[in-house]
Amino acid sequence: MVGALRVAIAEDSAILRDGLVQLLVDRGFVITGAVAEPAALRSSIAQNPPDVAVIDIRMPPTYTDEGLRLALELRARHEGLGILLFSQYIETRYAADLLADDAAGIGYLLKDRVADVSDFVEALERVAIGGTALDPEVVTQLIGATRRSDTLSALTTREREVLALMAEGRSNGAIAHALVVSEGAVEKHVANIFAKLDLPVSEKDHRRVLAVLRFLES
Amino acid sequence: MTLATEDVRPEDQKEPKGVSFAITDEQVDRAKTVVQRILREPFTRRPWMELAFFLVSGGLAGIGLAFIGATMLTGVVLAITFFGLSVLGLSLRGARGLGRWQRDLAHNMLGETIEEPGPFIRRPGFFGWLQSVLRDRVAWRSVAYHAIKVPSTVLGVYVAFSLWWDAIFGILSPIFWHGDGGPNMWGLAQGIFLSNGFGQGPSSFGHNLGLFLLGLIFLFAAPWVMRGFVTVDKLLLRALLGPDPIAARVRSLEQARTQTVDASAATMRRIERDLHDGTQAQLVALAMRLGMAKEKLEDPDPDQVDLVRVLELVDEAHRGAKEAIVELRDIARGIHPPALDIGLEGALSTLASRSAVPTELNFDVHARPTAAIEAIAYYCVAELLANVAQHAHASRATISCAQQGMWLRLVVRDDGRGGARLSTVGSTSSGLAGLTDRVRTVDGRLDLVSPTGGPTVVTVDLPLSV
Repeated sequence: MVGALRVAIAEDSAILRDGLVQLLVDRGFVITGAVAEPAALRSSIAQNPPDVAVIDIRMPPTYTDEGLRLALELRARHEGLGILLFSQYIETRYAADLLADDAAGIGYLLKDRVADVSDFVEALERVAIGGTALDPEVVTQLIGATRRSDTLSALTTREREVLALMAEGRSNGAIAHALVVSEGAVEKHVANIFAKLDLPVSEKDHRRVLAVLRFLES
Repeated sequence: MTLATEDVRPEDQKEPKGVSFAITDEQVDRAKTVVQRILREPFTRRPWMELAFFLVSGGLAGIGLAFIGATMLTGVVLAITFFGLSVLGLSLRGARGLGRWQRDLAHNMLGETIEEPGPFIRRPGFFGWLQSVLRDRVAWRSVAYHAIKVPSTVLGVYVAFSLWWDAIFGILSPIFWHGDGGPNMWGLAQGIFLSNGFGQGPSSFGHNLGLFLLGLIFLFAAPWVMRGFVTVDKLLLRALLGPDPIAARVRSLEQARTQTVDASAATMRRIERDLHDGTQAQLVALAMRLGMAKEKLEDPDPDQVDLVRVLELVDEAHRGAKEAIVELRDIARGIHPPALDIGLEGALSTLASRSAVPTELNFDVHARPTAAIEAIAYYCVAELLANVAQHAHASRATISCAQQGMWLRLVVRDDGRGGARLSTVGSTSSGLAGLTDRVRTVDGRLDLVSPTGGPTVVTVDLPLSV
């Protein structure tokens, strides 16, 4: 890692906010701001721009989707700012809104994921440098809801595992690590998947995510 | 004193003898009023309007019944075809319209306002329309009205209208009746008087005088007999053309159901919010700390492990776990108070002893209410005591819970500053309006008496079972 990543946090639960700060500082991140509501995050980012913002979806004043709307707004205003949405629940619809045009620098994770500290930190780093981090839950829901299940059934079990990890936004290296296989094997699986699903081959991980999601949603 | 008593006594003793016959001034006055009323009645507007109403409304009902009868017969005969079903539907739609005309007549001619029954609610499509029409209770009740009204009108014509008729012919008989065959009289009066030969045969002075006097008597009697029929008609109108009592009940139950559904949705939302903001966040933070501690302990080089830091993390996680347990317990208690498991008395005495204002409980209930009622009673008392503690500035409060037949009466009284209002939500009497809704869902009621300066008394009546 080149220099410490700078993180801003918007989370209305004080317990979680403090916990996150503690965890990230512990892992060597720099916290540019830890606030409880959208307006405070806007000014914090304007004063002290971070690399990535961790945003809770349900925040004051209405506790519905403030965080999501804030994320869309910040994305339009600050180019290159990574955004990790952080929620108690997964709404596939939110993921679709977020990834409408680009998956670069976007993350959407269940709050539970912080329990696995390394995975969480890895996801945050990925988002900060322009990658994608989708919660496995989102991917499971998308795969479960897809009308392309006929085409999906042409994949082997291993290929489906690779597809799911790919959709979460992981790189070939990370997939290889997670499945305990060689990176070469993963590359072969990926090529097979793209061929079987008739997807355009793309180098960038986040484009790959988008391609897979488009396929699942169509 | 003594003299006065003696003066009074003789009269007191006399009175029992003559009590039934003695006519006091008051009775004379009353009799005068009655006679005046009878003598004036035919020359006021009201009996003529009633007569007119009787004729117009009766005529309309006759035509209406003919229409309903004819269309229904056609409809039933042709029921297997669309045409027959349409005619049947039109017949009922017509019956509804006729009912409205009758209501308007009563309103315009008698000044009798009968509330509109519920509007016709039409479902989409021909069969939807047909189904709604066939199930339209208002229309069927109007059919019933017509079916009863027409025979009653026929009877009224024979009894009451004939009185008017005969009164006029009787009075006019000295002028017009000079031949054989009797004057042009009919109806009940003719049945009684004329069939015995009176008023028939060749006219004579005696006959004519008798008929004239009879006519006069009829003239003064007719308005009252007619009024009897109109009164019966008004009752019919109210019973069959007014709002349906069953429909009204259904409406009020629907309202109560809506409130229940809304209230339970709001409760679910509150519980979700409590879990989301409290326990879930608490547990996520706890898992996060344990995750951090675990990673530190997993360090391949044991000497590098910062045990002090790990202990700190575990300690925080431990504290978080305990807090989560307390929060979960509070939320669970909000869903169903465990105190109720030992019965309402135990639960209420727990509430009383936990209250911030010294509170006394009087409990006198023998039958055990159903669980739902106990829960509502419990929440009422809990909410009311919370209000007392927050707003009333009271020094003491009493809860009384007593059984009255099949009802449970809860009274919460405090000696505070009063001024609580049902309508205010949030400021001075938060939750009272919500309680009222909650109580109403089981047909109970909540009364609030809270003059400025106090005391405040809230009475809640609940049925023992729903």
